[in-house]
Amino acid sequence: MKLEPRAVPLQDAPPKRKVKTTQVVNGIETEVEIEVEDVPAGQWPPRASLRVLNHDIPRVDGPVKVSGAARYTHDVRVPGMVWARLLLSPLPRARVAALDLEAARAVPGVVHVLVVEREETGWLGQPVAVVAAETLEAAGDGLRALAARFEPLPWVVDHAAAVREGAPAVGRGANVGRPETDGDEARARAALSASATRVRATYTVPVQHHASLETHGVVVDYRGGEDAVVYCSTQYAQGFAAEAAKELGLKAGNVRGVVEHMGGGFGSKFGLDAQGLYACRIAKELKRPVHLMLDRRAEFLMSGNRSGTSMTIEAGCDAQGSLTGLVAEAWKHGGLGRGSLSGLPYCYKAGAHFRDVRSVRMHLDASRAMRAPGHPQASFGMESILDELAYAAGLDLVEIRRRNAAHPAWVRQLDRVAREIGWDQHPHRTQPGKPDREECIGIGFGISNWGSGGSSDCEAEVRIEKDGSVVVACAAQDLGTGTRMYMAAIAAEEFGLPVAAVTARLGDSRLPTGVASGGSVTTPSVAPAVKDACTRARGAFAAHLAQVLGRSAEGFRFGPDGVRHDGMTERLAWSKACGTLPAEGLSARGKWQESLQTRGVRCTQAAQVAVDPGTGRVRVLHMVCLQEVGLALNRLAVKSQIQGGMIQALGYALGEGRQLDSALGLQLNASFEEYKIPHALEIPRMTTLIDDDDTRNGVAGVGEPPAIPGASAIANAVHNACGARVRELPITPDKVLLALGKVV
Amino acid sequence: MKSFRFLNPASLDEAIALATAPDAGDARFLAGGQDLLTEMQEHLAEPDRVVNLKSVPGLDRIEAGGGRLRVGALATLVRLEREAAVRARWAALSEAAASVASPQIRSCATLGGNLCQRPRCAYYRIEEARCLKKGGTECFAYGGSNKYSAILGGGPSWIVHPSDLAPALVALDAEIVLRGAGGERRLPLEKFYVLPADGDVTKETVLAPGEVVTEVVVPEPPAGARSTYLKFRERESYDFALAAVAASLVLQDGVVRTARICLGGVAPVPWRAPQAEAALLGRRLDAALAKQAAAAALAGAAPLEQNAFKIPLTKTLVERALLALAR
Amino acid sequence: MADGTARTDGAAEPVDLSRRVFLRGAGGAAAGGVLAPALLGAAAGGCAAGATAGAGAATSAALAAPPGADPAGRELVGEVEIELAINGTRQKLVVEPRTTLLDALRTRLEPPLTGTKSVCERGNCGACTVLVDGEPRYACLQLACDLRGRAITTVEGLGSPEKLSVLQQEFVAQDGSMCGFCTPGFVVAITACLQRDPRASEQEIRRACAGNLCRCGTHPQVFAAALAAGRRLAEGQR
Repeated sequence: MKLEPRAVPLQDAPPKRKVKTTQVVNGIETEVEIEVEDVPAGQWPPRASLRVLNHDIPRVDGPVKVSGAARYTHDVRVPGMVWARLLLSPLPRARVAALDLEAARAVPGVVHVLVVEREETGWLGQPVAVVAAETLEAAGDGLRALAARFEPLPWVVDHAAAVREGAPAVGRGANVGRPETDGDEARARAALSASATRVRATYTVPVQHHASLETHGVVVDYRGGEDAVVYCSTQYAQGFAAEAAKELGLKAGNVRGVVEHMGGGFGSKFGLDAQGLYACRIAKELKRPVHLMLDRRAEFLMSGNRSGTSMTIEAGCDAQGSLTGLVAEAWKHGGLGRGSLSGLPYCYKAGAHFRDVRSVRMHLDASRAMRAPGHPQASFGMESILDELAYAAGLDLVEIRRRNAAHPAWVRQLDRVAREIGWDQHPHRTQPGKPDREECIGIGFGISNWGSGGSSDCEAEVRIEKDGSVVVACAAQDLGTGTRMYMAAIAAEEFGLPVAAVTARLGDSRLPTGVASGGSVTTPSVAPAVKDACTRARGAFAAHLAQVLGRSAEGFRFGPDGVRHDGMTERLAWSKACGTLPAEGLSARGKWQESLQTRGVRCTQAAQVAVDPGTGRVRVLHMVCLQEVGLALNRLAVKSQIQGGMIQALGYALGEGRQLDSALGLQLNASFEEYKIPHALEIPRMTTLIDDDDTRNGVAGVGEPPAIPGASAIANAVHNACGARVRELPITPDKVLLALGKVV
Repeated sequence: MKSFRFLNPASLDEAIALATAPDAGDARFLAGGQDLLTEMQEHLAEPDRVVNLKSVPGLDRIEAGGGRLRVGALATLVRLEREAAVRARWAALSEAAASVASPQIRSCATLGGNLCQRPRCAYYRIEEARCLKKGGTECFAYGGSNKYSAILGGGPSWIVHPSDLAPALVALDAEIVLRGAGGERRLPLEKFYVLPADGDVTKETVLAPGEVVTEVVVPEPPAGARSTYLKFRERESYDFALAAVAASLVLQDGVVRTARICLGGVAPVPWRAPQAEAALLGRRLDAALAKQAAAAALAGAAPLEQNAFKIPLTKTLVERALLALAR
Repeated sequence: MADGTARTDGAAEPVDLSRRVFLRGAGGAAAGGVLAPALLGAAAGGCAAGATAGAGAATSAALAAPPGADPAGRELVGEVEIELAINGTRQKLVVEPRTTLLDALRTRLEPPLTGTKSVCERGNCGACTVLVDGEPRYACLQLACDLRGRAITTVEGLGSPEKLSVLQQEFVAQDGSMCGFCTPGFVVAITACLQRDPRASEQEIRRACAGNLCRCGTHPQVFAAALAAGRRLAEGQR
């Protein structure tokens, strides 16, 4: 089905007004003021009247996904395509001493060898060369034939080495970044001194990998001439065509970007990336399509990650448990990047606080945004110190959170979550349990927040054809989050149709302006635009019917029983109504509207674990999540999304983390064997609750917030179970045994 | 993966001949391929010839009878896991098979391949790290990351043997049958494995070039015998053993008459624990004795910087395995 | 391909699903392989109980079978044409001995079968799970040329978007996929489990897909889908 932009022209530009919203730039949430059109604010229908939305809707692309028919970038095959593979720097910093280009070119099947770094590499996994060949196997042979030789240069890949005096410099500037501070240090320290109870501890979180199942990569379909189609596994369908065009030497408008389906990004996939540029260069040179997807090792080494953190936190409270002061000193480990760490005391309020955060740079790939960048790290530090403070003061773990939470919504959520996890019956509410049995049961809590909020640039188009079919389109993408499904569902709701009667089109740069899917902004950007387009289409349809039927346009209603008019007793079937349309059908373009979205979604989680003090095994038994979502477009998909976040947090808590050998400059777990993500047997019972007490009738994105507090809750539960306080993630059996004093 | 010549012999003799021919170059036998293919993908193995043992008939039988269990080298793990006779009389073997990797691996991984698999040590598996096992001069785990390394029998390499079947079969007193150009030889499975200090450090077994494991023979356990395999994984779903114990006991009125205990995941070879066995003999198996035997099993442990936790962990496993057999 | 012999012609020849014909097709070898037990078909209740405990033995009998009386198949080197039985049709394709089944399906077949996903290529993630004679395997750890005479089933062979298998239907209904990249592997691994026992418990289902990695965290919905499909299949059998 084709959809050429053929929008009904909007009226004269309406006046603008300014509103505040949250935007995420490189993973950093920022409050910004933007201009929006001052048009009458659209509204979602009251929840009780919703027929399609806010229900469980099976996703429309389910059948193609479960049968293997869905086409991802990795699956794209075009005639004449060559297969490209990368040679990476095996060391964090090295001189490229030898590359036998002639030998590589001589390998049967090899069609091109591109050297992208001839002199010196500056991070582990940095691409050095690309070999393209007629088959994948031949491309591999070409890489071997390069017989690359690297001479090590001094590097730093761990904190201690990077901050040491005389350490090898990482790029330009000092290895330790300038302090980012917040709060009044003198006041905070004075408050700490005056507090009834105070605790101080250091918490460490490792680098976490996105580990998307589909690796980063592209297929550049360029066969000479003026046009190209570029398929890219990315979270921003409109974010790479222009870049690709530049690299291909084509006009920007002549390159189409396509992201039909994509196999996970979690914040790591925006733009073409280096490998995309290389593929374009080779395609341009050969005038042949190029397939270049990273292999798994490359994905671990060069596609970004969640930065690690080391933080020392001191916190104090008064006799009732109110936080009086907090001082935090933290280092972010983001490789060549700055890393991210959300502000402490995170979702809590303290009488006075001070924090000093610095980044420590290393010869490793730059960290990228990953599902709530900076938040899980801050959450782990904050929720841990809060538990330690509660135990020191003899306070109930839920009570100390209720007392200090920065928003009343969390108080309500804590009460509900505590009930669901069985807190009242739990024996260890103010002191941890003892390691005195094979199954020590513990409970922990955590809370989180995310700005969400949409992009004012987002647009959508709706077309109603004469045959009654409906297409809704936007250049956004569906990462598995359900974008396609709710686009169709919104139109179905608006026109009174079944979801299956609507086709949603996305993932194509030529469609109306979409948005990059990062920071949970997709839904609050796309849904309002789609809704607005539908509202406008209904208006246009009503105006058309008014002319045809000689009725007033205001009186038309679109429902599951067809088109009605207040002044008519009979109903007009949808297909009949559409049949009156002109041959080209009807289309309308909608724009984002602030009134249709909402910002600030809070989340509370609890985890119940069983710790085996004999082996150090931590088994998560039960996780509970209560999540504000505003108006849930599809409850089924929202729950899936929430559970997905919780499971990723479980991995962060118990298994994941980059392991390096600093001396050798190697990553020891750049594979799914050694980088341990939870599988089927690690999944606990999950109670996933949409917070229906959040009655705001606007849509929000919930990709990020449920991924935040789970790890903190699990870590606290481990301690609560048996007194093993593990201050460094992941909590593996060795660390539990060590914390229990079992290792002599 | 490097190109190779793929050969499908019709007999064992032909297979051996193909692998040892003067022009064979580096030849490898292929069984289930679940380890060899990963080695080839990582360029740790770059054979010129791959000799496919699956084309040789008769290597995959499982026969219980005549006072023994005979398992052909090509028998798949899924069959050992499911075979009723094995489950009933050689429980440790069946439990060990069921504990291996994932259903996808067990459906084609073989007994022979499991016994001959190469180490999982991260340094060994990274091509660029030219460690002792790969002909280098240093065991990088020793001064580097050694959480997963050996606490018993280590040095000059500290790998742990990754097989689950091997400790189970050692505990069951199995014999291994090898066939080479010079004919057949049989030896206790325990003697099949060599410590890094005792032989060629780049190998884990006595298998000679061109020699093939053809079968394993396990004696029928006496009346009153019970066995079990207890494996601890860092990730329960799909992982190698962080530590494991196989135990085979004959109990008479609660008193231990015979005992064989073998540890996995803690030493470069399946690690027999004779002190623990001795501690058990002739005594009533209760919690206190199990604890004492566990301590004896780990008495000689010499952990590296990051793996002392394996001592209490393995002790726990030994205790629990013994008590499970006493129940 | 180098010698220009790359084919196939796409019009794959349908296989007569009888053992006799199949064996003849495989070159008259002694036991070319047991055909996959009827797979969880598209029709409701289409689960055959074919593979029970005996399947293991049958499978390994096939394992020991020589690929042949076919002398050309004894020694393979360079680009060679082989024939594989994929989803019930015999297909010719050109591979190298080192070509894995995963790469053969995705890059050597014409048209390619890309439902089997390439994710880790080391047998760690399960995204490339296929059935070989009814048992689940990682396609990345199989040599394509080593599977001549075996019945290979990919996710595409279990159902199509228009005609989903019972399990696939339940995956859709329970929201068992998010990004969907792991989904085919889970579908195939669980299909093998339900074929053995549609009444498999949740723990058995978890064990059946413990070798599969999902990063989006769809597991609870996957278990629910498997249990629901098992119930439907068990009822259909009665």
